[in-house]
Amino acid sequence: MIVRMMRVRIAGPRSLLDRTLTVLQDLGVLHVDRPPVPDGRAPDRIVMRERRHVERCLSDVEMALNRLRLPVDPGAPAERPLSAPQAARRARRVRRRAETLALATSALEDERSLLVRYREFFQAFEALVGHELTWPDGQAFYVVLRAGAGSAVGELRRRLEDALHGEVVLLHQELSSGEWAVLILASSRAAPKVSALLSASRVEELPAPAGIAEKNVLRALPAIKARLGEIPESLHAVDAQRRALAQTEGAWLSGLRVFLRDQLLRFDARTRVFAADYLFVIEGWLPVPRLVDLQQRMQTTLGPEVVVSTIGAEDWTAEAAPVALHNPPLFRPFEVLTRILPLPKYGTIDPTPFVAIFFPAFFGLIVGDVGHGLLLAGLAGLLRLKSEPDTTLRSVSTVALACSSSTIAFGVFFGEFFGSLGPAIGLQPFFNREQATIPFLGLSVALGGVHIALGLVLAGVSAWRRGHRREAVGRSVALGMLILTALSLLAAFEVLPAGLFTPLVVAILVAFTVLVALEGIVAVIELLSTVGHILSYARIMALGTASLMLAVVANEMVGAMGSVLVGAIFALLFHLVNFAIGLFSPTIHALRLHYVEFFGQFFSPGGAEYRPLGHWHPLP
Amino acid sequence: MEIALLGFAAALAIGLPALATAWAQGRIGPAAAATLAEKPELSTTAVILIAIPETMVILGFVVAVLILLRAGG
Repeated sequence: MIVRMMRVRIAGPRSLLDRTLTVLQDLGVLHVDRPPVPDGRAPDRIVMRERRHVERCLSDVEMALNRLRLPVDPGAPAERPLSAPQAARRARRVRRRAETLALATSALEDERSLLVRYREFFQAFEALVGHELTWPDGQAFYVVLRAGAGSAVGELRRRLEDALHGEVVLLHQELSSGEWAVLILASSRAAPKVSALLSASRVEELPAPAGIAEKNVLRALPAIKARLGEIPESLHAVDAQRRALAQTEGAWLSGLRVFLRDQLLRFDARTRVFAADYLFVIEGWLPVPRLVDLQQRMQTTLGPEVVVSTIGAEDWTAEAAPVALHNPPLFRPFEVLTRILPLPKYGTIDPTPFVAIFFPAFFGLIVGDVGHGLLLAGLAGLLRLKSEPDTTLRSVSTVALACSSSTIAFGVFFGEFFGSLGPAIGLQPFFNREQATIPFLGLSVALGGVHIALGLVLAGVSAWRRGHRREAVGRSVALGMLILTALSLLAAFEVLPAGLFTPLVVAILVAFTVLVALEGIVAVIELLSTVGHILSYARIMALGTASLMLAVVANEMVGAMGSVLVGAIFALLFHLVNFAIGLFSPTIHALRLHYVEFFGQFFSPGGAEYRPLGHWHPLP
Repeated sequence: MEIALLGFAAALAIGLPALATAWAQGRIGPAAAATLAEKPELSTTAVILIAIPETMVILGFVVAVLILLRAGG
């Protein structure tokens, strides 16, 4: 249900504005809204400057926490600094130190990954180079040619020898990746020519990591290995410094972040406050039962100078009121389904309780299988164990548990256990939907009629509550027409006495005239659309029958494969596929029946969420 | 002969809506994918929008079942 709201006005001397906002933040009930006063005042420059300082300091704090790899502590108490400038300087210092350490770690890791990446390349040369270089002052060129370019090595060797006549040595080896490692050793005199030749041939040198640009490969290779051995120690040393910094500054930074975030929330609220030279006015919404709390807290902490007054106990017609949903614990997890759509407008109906009843019912009616229900219950239980309280995953697990219970209940009703195996475990169908296809179709459409009728009732109530009397009467007449149509159909098929048919048809015609008079010609289209919506519930029968048939086919595989074992394996796989389809398809279609058919009758989206000024909490 | 015609009618009753559903989903799918690239939070809405044209094939299935039941009767 939607929580009933009240608009209040808080007025007091300007000097008490900051304290008032702090008290409101501690109480955490007021959704601050801009008062209806001319908005001609220039923004307060001092406040804007303060805000910029806070944002800059917060940026330093969050960057430092991130670089120190400190997780968000949801229970960290706010750390109010004795001096804001000193705190800002300290945060900046810690951020710089943390960034330096993070950069050092990053550089070491990059170096190690580069060395590891080319380890095979250098190992190839370790096998190739068995002698000192001919030219101690010469230069080495490292080249990797792409896979399949082995023939290019010979061409490269020929060009080098033609150009440099014995002042160059080329060694090559195929790598496991298919690439070719090529080492060119050249005298200092020949080196520029080699470099030019490689550029002309569009052959790129391997970028050598720092510290291995040795001219002598025999000296370079041990240097590489030594460097690889040193890096873990360097990383460990840097990490120790990071941990020490996190140990000394982590708690302070976390507390300061909470304080600064709270301050920013107060700055945001302040932009919606009317503040003149000598007084301030705050207006906002709060749940009706919390008014007494607010008045008492203001009285005790701020005294008689700050006055709280109600602007009027709003009824459900307040378009601007924010929306807060509050449902009993049993229904609350189903808010995860209604919150997929925008919030309902204030004064309309929160559909969550109806979703909590009908969604599991539709799901169970479609799947209707004890085996699938037990599997789903197992999955839901697992999800519940793995999820934290008050999270979306926990809500999903509760919804899944409700769906599994409904699936098992309808499975017992239909006598189904993985399709046609029900009798094997002693289940006797009370309603055999494999044979009673038409009654199942009738049941589905009748259920749709009830659901849509409920939607029309809710539409009438919602319209009446918001003062739209004509619309409320129109919805009631539409509902009456729906009921009369159902009764006349029953009379036509002689379920009711046939003599009732004519009076019922006359009543429908009268109701139709009234409906057109109330809502205009649009009512005709809406009526046809309502009938279409009811027929759409036939999908419950269609999906249910399809699911059952798939299960029956799976069971028949056992005897149809020649070997019982092979057949059983295929049947098991088919059941798994059917179970996966049975999770997805009924969920989508049960949701669709709610969002499109049911909500379409009464749901008015577009409500603003109730966001009271409160303390900052990290997102879960 | 009549049974064969009824079977053919049932096949048409589900086949034609299946083609229509496929066509509609084929147009909604890329639009939904493009939407998700910009607003991943709309994933559930996108899935439901893709499921909406399935009404056609589902009702086609219902009609096909009714035809087949008539053939059997």
